[in-house]
Amino acid sequence: MENLKRELKEQIIERLNLEDVNVEDIADDMPLFGGGLGLDSIDALELIVLLENDYGIELTNPEEGKEIFQTVNSMSDFISRNRK
Amino acid sequence: MYINACSTISHQNSFQNENWINELVPLDIKSELITPDYKEFIAPAALRRMSKIIRMSLACSKDCIQQSGTETPDAIIVGTGLGCLADTEKFLNNTLTLTGLIPPTSFIQSTHNTIAGQISLELKNHNYNITHTQNSLSFEHALIDAILCLNEEDSNVLVGAADEAIPLLDELAKQFGLDEITHKLTSGASFFMLSNNKTEASKAQLVDSYTVGLNNSSPGDIIDDFLKRNGLTIGDIDNVLSNTFGTVSEFEIMDTFNATPVKPIDECSGYYFTNSAFGMHLGVEMLAQNSSKRILLYNTLNNSNIGLTLLQSLEA
Repeated sequence: MENLKRELKEQIIERLNLEDVNVEDIADDMPLFGGGLGLDSIDALELIVLLENDYGIELTNPEEGKEIFQTVNSMSDFISRNRK
Repeated sequence: MYINACSTISHQNSFQNENWINELVPLDIKSELITPDYKEFIAPAALRRMSKIIRMSLACSKDCIQQSGTETPDAIIVGTGLGCLADTEKFLNNTLTLTGLIPPTSFIQSTHNTIAGQISLELKNHNYNITHTQNSLSFEHALIDAILCLNEEDSNVLVGAADEAIPLLDELAKQFGLDEITHKLTSGASFFMLSNNKTEASKAQLVDSYTVGLNNSSPGDIIDDFLKRNGLTIGDIDNVLSNTFGTVSEFEIMDTFNATPVKPIDECSGYYFTNSAFGMHLGVEMLAQNSSKRILLYNTLNNSNIGLTLLQSLEA
């Protein structure tokens, strides 16, 4: 699980061009949207693409995204339960 | 109409430097774009996904807002020849190399109107917002639109032009056999605040702009007609600023204008589809420094297109 969390942080930084952010700056329980990392709606689309392309998980219900993308913890939990 | 602010990012030290026209250096193979610290103009959260063309355009726009004191222009009008090339290339590469969903950011930001759109988002401006793309005449078309707006009900219009070079363009240029020194492909952005109101910030006047696409007529006749419709002859023009991609010889251009001095701008701007906007900023500063009364911008970057823009000093 720790490896998955680190991998996710690296992917978030790379895919979302977070130029001044390091893996160490993203705490496992830091909110990704709103305060915390401050991601926005375009980033949410990028994360949906990331889930599908890298982990084979298709989000069919957009409402689910609010829960899944809360933190790195919630993303890694969801991926480990659903990855194909 | 008055030009109340000008801002250019180029291979010259032109950004926020009023004296830049006295520091011009011809470009060489090592010349690079001279950029400000974009974090002074754009929030880091927004900056991270912006390509060079968006960064340049936003910084110049905000500089114009600052210079002119006009926080809410009545229109935002942008000209671009090739648009957001870096994001277009990224998006096309993604479609060729990725399977599954295509990441949305490069697609969203690949369209030409991203530039004007991002400016309006940053300025929280909901007024007229449009992008003109007409090959080498993109900037002049944006200017003509701005003039029409100012002749109707608008008072202040933010108008500008930008293009960005990407390494693929250099590869293409090599395949066409273009020399990279005499035909250095560059990036650049120039923005202006045009206004019906003369203020302390006013630098010069924009009198008229005109374009001819796919021209078959003699350039001399077109220039004479353009000047005639403004009540002038070539003898009333103190300086001509010209850009050409080398398809029209300097001798031919000199011959067209007789005794009027012609200054080529390409050696200082490099080549991009909207480098006539660089020429307009150069012309405005020449007028503001009282070295000329009237300047004609003669755009023959693409020799089948002609763009003419007439500037005059505040006193003329």
